[in-house]
Amino acid sequence: MKKINNIYIYDGSFPNLLTIIKYLFQENILPLDIKENYQEDLFSQNINLNLETDEKIIPNIVKNMGLKIFNGLYYLYLSNKDNKEMLIYYFLLYSLKYQEKVFILRNVDILNEAIKTIKYVGRENHKMKGFIRFKELKGGVLYAEFSPTNNVLPLVVKHFQKRLKKEVWLIQDVKRKVCAYYNTNLYFLDMQDTKINLNELAKDEVMMENLWKTFYKSVSLKERVNERCRMNFMPKKYWSYIMEVSDEESY
Amino acid sequence: MDLKEKLQILTESAKYDASCSSSGSKRSSTIGNTAISGICHSFSKDGRCISLLKILLTNACIFDCKYCLNRRSNNIKRAAFTPEEICQITLNFYRRNYIEGLFLSSGIIKNPDYTMNLLIETISLLRHKYHFGGYIHAKAIPGTSEVLIKKLGSLVDRMSANIELATDDALKLLAPNKNRGRVQKVMHYVKNNQSSKFVPAGQSTQMVIGAFRETDFDIMNRSSNLYHNYNLKRVFYSAYISVNTDKLLPSLSLPPLKRENRLYQADFLLRYYNFKVEDILSKDKPNFNLLIDPKEEYALRHFKEYPKEINTCSYNDLLKIPGIGVVSAKRIYRARKCFQITFNDLKKMGVVLKRAQYFITCGGKSLICKEYLNPHFIEHNLVIDSKEEKRKVEQLSLSL
Ligand code: SF4
Repeated sequence: MKKINNIYIYDGSFPNLLTIIKYLFQENILPLDIKENYQEDLFSQNINLNLETDEKIIPNIVKNMGLKIFNGLYYLYLSNKDNKEMLIYYFLLYSLKYQEKVFILRNVDILNEAIKTIKYVGRENHKMKGFIRFKELKGGVLYAEFSPTNNVLPLVVKHFQKRLKKEVWLIQDVKRKVCAYYNTNLYFLDMQDTKINLNELAKDEVMMENLWKTFYKSVSLKERVNERCRMNFMPKKYWSYIMEVSDEESY
Repeated sequence: MDLKEKLQILTESAKYDASCSSSGSKRSSTIGNTAISGICHSFSKDGRCISLLKILLTNACIFDCKYCLNRRSNNIKRAAFTPEEICQITLNFYRRNYIEGLFLSSGIIKNPDYTMNLLIETISLLRHKYHFGGYIHAKAIPGTSEVLIKKLGSLVDRMSANIELATDDALKLLAPNKNRGRVQKVMHYVKNNQSSKFVPAGQSTQMVIGAFRETDFDIMNRSSNLYHNYNLKRVFYSAYISVNTDKLLPSLSLPPLKRENRLYQADFLLRYYNFKVEDILSKDKPNFNLLIDPKEEYALRHFKEYPKEINTCSYNDLLKIPGIGVVSAKRIYRARKCFQITFNDLKKMGVVLKRAQYFITCGGKSLICKEYLNPHFIEHNLVIDSKEEKRKVEQLSLSL
């Protein structure tokens, strides 16, 4: 690989990023960075290749590298890491050589960072399957807000498509201002485009929330209170969307 | 009595059961499914995972187990849910994603068969009328007919019958209406009939710790037997909380949490680390050291077998090193086929070097100089290094 002091620009999408990385591999280029937007940088140049996204790149990676590696790449893409593009670059590079063995090469620092990030995204996805709280709106629609550190919305929806398959639901990522809407089919929308009135609650909603808070309070053993342990499993950063703890003091 | 008060009473009387796991089952229906690895939905103030709506059908009971809040002789408020009420709460909690499902148990009313029939009626309503496909864990009532166990087992994901106390003496004294034979009959039936249609997530049980003078050796032997004979998924240990005053019971100001923790660690050693009870306890040494964990204790008592060389020792030996868990042992085992492992790599693999360092070499090198490699010195260091000790020192130093 020849080191080139350029920052390459992609359009922000996953397939386009992979397309550019494939091009860089073919040209034997190790870039300074790959970024979605132009970067102010005195010592390097921004290059927009304007490559057309290769439609087949995702099926090809799945077919040739296997699902495990593809998922690794995708999880990296969904992570909140500043250097996620280069992590993807290196992870794919090493995967070509070592296949699934990349997952054990923790002695390589950049791979260690990538593997840790993949696990972190996976863990957050798993946590959100539990921590998301739906409210029932008038008309029976279920609505949830959350704000995960990584962009796990595309992952958690798969879980709820199976679990709540007969329901109509919306999950909003508040920070990223995107929303998944499910009504037998799944759509991703901008929050402004939803016509559903989010303020009108179903008749029983408040009662159910109160019942849940009652349960939450009653199930705890006061002889074993352990705030440190609770915080470890359920970090404070998620609390504002978990109603049984967000207003713990007020009931 | 309104629904809220009922829920409060029947939750508070169910909360002493330690189990809340929702794993091990693959089920899917019109409403809901189960997740094979289980999902925690919340964590209560005591740091325990909340996964299931853990309630009693009723807290009325004809029995008088000494250690139990719901015993007949206690003068407490009694309540009972109707099957329909349980269904409505479960379904409403489930679709809002508060829970993975239901954990239903009950005090014994009239007789065991009658109680069991009530449990079956409730769960059958959930499964058949409401097509609920979420996780259900039910407590089997010992002393009921096999027909009823069969019925209940075909509706639920997990079933448990609590062994309650490790020794027969303790049971006779503290739970005079119970007997181990009846509990084991349930376990036996479940073990022989378990399938994807009958208790697919397997069975578990629970023991109360510290209500009687049983030793850790008694407890671990009982567990080991249960795992062995009945294929149990889990034995839960529940530190006794003084809910009743009784001349037969100890009055503890605090539940023996550290002891409970050591028992869980030892339980893991039995199930995942290929240890046997005799490796860690004996008649002459029947209780765990509360200051260091059971694996450290083992390593210090078998110090001649150490240090182990990370790059060459067997997988089984990796498991015997303090500070190395199953996950990191597997990582090491796979990785060392690709490259020579150094101390630096171990950190990245999740090894707790602070504890492992006394028991290993990497490529022949050790982090500890030879003069210090003696069990007394190491034990001292392990105790000082443990988190709780650090916290204590932190607190004490505030007063300086
Ligand atoms: S059978 Fe014993 S342990 Fe169970 S509820 Fe009744 S008194 Fe309590």
